[in-house]
Amino acid sequence: MSAANVAPITATDSLSQALKANIIPNQEYLLQGSVLDSAVEVLLHRLRGLCDNVDAGTETFDDQEVCFSLRDPNQQAAPLMLRLRKALDARDMPYQLRYIGQPDLGDKSRPTVVRSSLDIACSGMLIEFLNELGCRIEFEYSVKGYMFRKGRMKITVSKVFKISQSSMSPEPISQSYLVELSVLAPQGQDAIGEDMRAFADQLRPLVQLDKIDYKRLGHMSVT
Amino acid sequence: MQREEKQLEATLHAILNRVNDLKAAIQALITKLENEYETINWPTFLDNYAILSGHLTGLSKILQSEVAPSLRSVVVLPLQLGCERDEALARLTEGRVPACTHDLVPDLLRTKPEPQAEQRLQQFNHKASTLSHDTAQKQVAQFTKVISHVWEIISKGREDWEGESMRSAGMQPTHSIADTHALVTAVGTGKGLRPGMPSIVPPGVGAPGMGPSRGPAPQLGPSAPTMPKAPSAIKTNIKAANQIHPYQR
Repeated sequence: MSAANVAPITATDSLSQALKANIIPNQEYLLQGSVLDSAVEVLLHRLRGLCDNVDAGTETFDDQEVCFSLRDPNQQAAPLMLRLRKALDARDMPYQLRYIGQPDLGDKSRPTVVRSSLDIACSGMLIEFLNELGCRIEFEYSVKGYMFRKGRMKITVSKVFKISQSSMSPEPISQSYLVELSVLAPQGQDAIGEDMRAFADQLRPLVQLDKIDYKRLGHMSVT
Repeated sequence: MQREEKQLEATLHAILNRVNDLKAAIQALITKLENEYETINWPTFLDNYAILSGHLTGLSKILQSEVAPSLRSVVVLPLQLGCERDEALARLTEGRVPACTHDLVPDLLRTKPEPQAEQRLQQFNHKASTLSHDTAQKQVAQFTKVISHVWEIISKGREDWEGESMRSAGMQPTHSIADTHALVTAVGTGKGLRPGMPSIVPPGVGAPGMGPSRGPAPQLGPSAPTMPKAPSAIKTNIKAANQIHPYQR
């Protein structure tokens, strides 16, 4: 009758159960675009009309993101990149440590970029911990902007700033705002890509949200 | 003989149909004017006139067609004029002509234009014949000039109207592809964000490009993604310096 003698469920058990049931959102579906500073107000109006979380005013955020890389000293494989994000406007929130995998580019028919993404909240000791592990800072930047939500989709309209050590104020790296539409979902839920594409079409011709392969663009210019 | 009769009948039938259509169109125009005179606008009115002219054209086509026998050779004569009401006639004409009276018949069976119209036509003919060839030419030239002037004004106005609304929506891009690429690569690979690297200057933005190796600020599209060799040299220098630190502390 009573369940007093049932063994407590361990964390590993629940984790493996979750993995089997495929409910861990470890994939990110992503579409990116940009909008010029002169047109960002119009975009914000449109998003306010389309999205859900605007009853109490638009949500803003001000984050700093630092990208660490862990290299194998023998330089065999590509380095592991980890991203640390801290909120500059809410100092007591935990840091977010995120791993982003390589985007799955082979399938041209997919409407969005699909890449694996794992994130976890950590304390501020994280930076020391990563340094002790041997990670070093690759680059860092700060983003400041607005966040909208529609159902499962998250839309951010943000300005990317380069953090300069000498002067105090960060300067923007371009005259545009970066617009990102992303969904975190478990593997295999590809239908969300279609919904994202439909939503992205509603923002045209203001913003052209597409899947952009930044690795290819990065390589094009460094050579 | 019979064939001609049949043709005549067919032609008359066709003419009757056209005339009925014309009548209906005029009726519609009159009712429209009477009932909607406050809300009618010029284009709608012109549309109705276009309908009327369409019917008239159809009618004239029938009359000009070669199938129609020469109607000039056919004459309609009133055989009997009377003052009493004729029921058959009234039925035929839907109550409009109750009797074949003396004053109605000249109007209904008229072949020449009305006296007033005829007089005016005579006046114009007289005036036209007294004009010399030169004056006539000059007047025609003036007329064409006035018409073309009015045409220019109207077409310019239309262009301004339509051009403004169409062009202003299209000519102002709200996003720049170069900016998109720059932002995405910056966020993804840190291009332009590493210390010591000159910042990425997307073309057409006009932000001053920093860094000694930039040289003249590139204004063209292709030059921004393909940066000159010197910055990558700086980047590799920094990398080499940083490689000393992990695992060797």
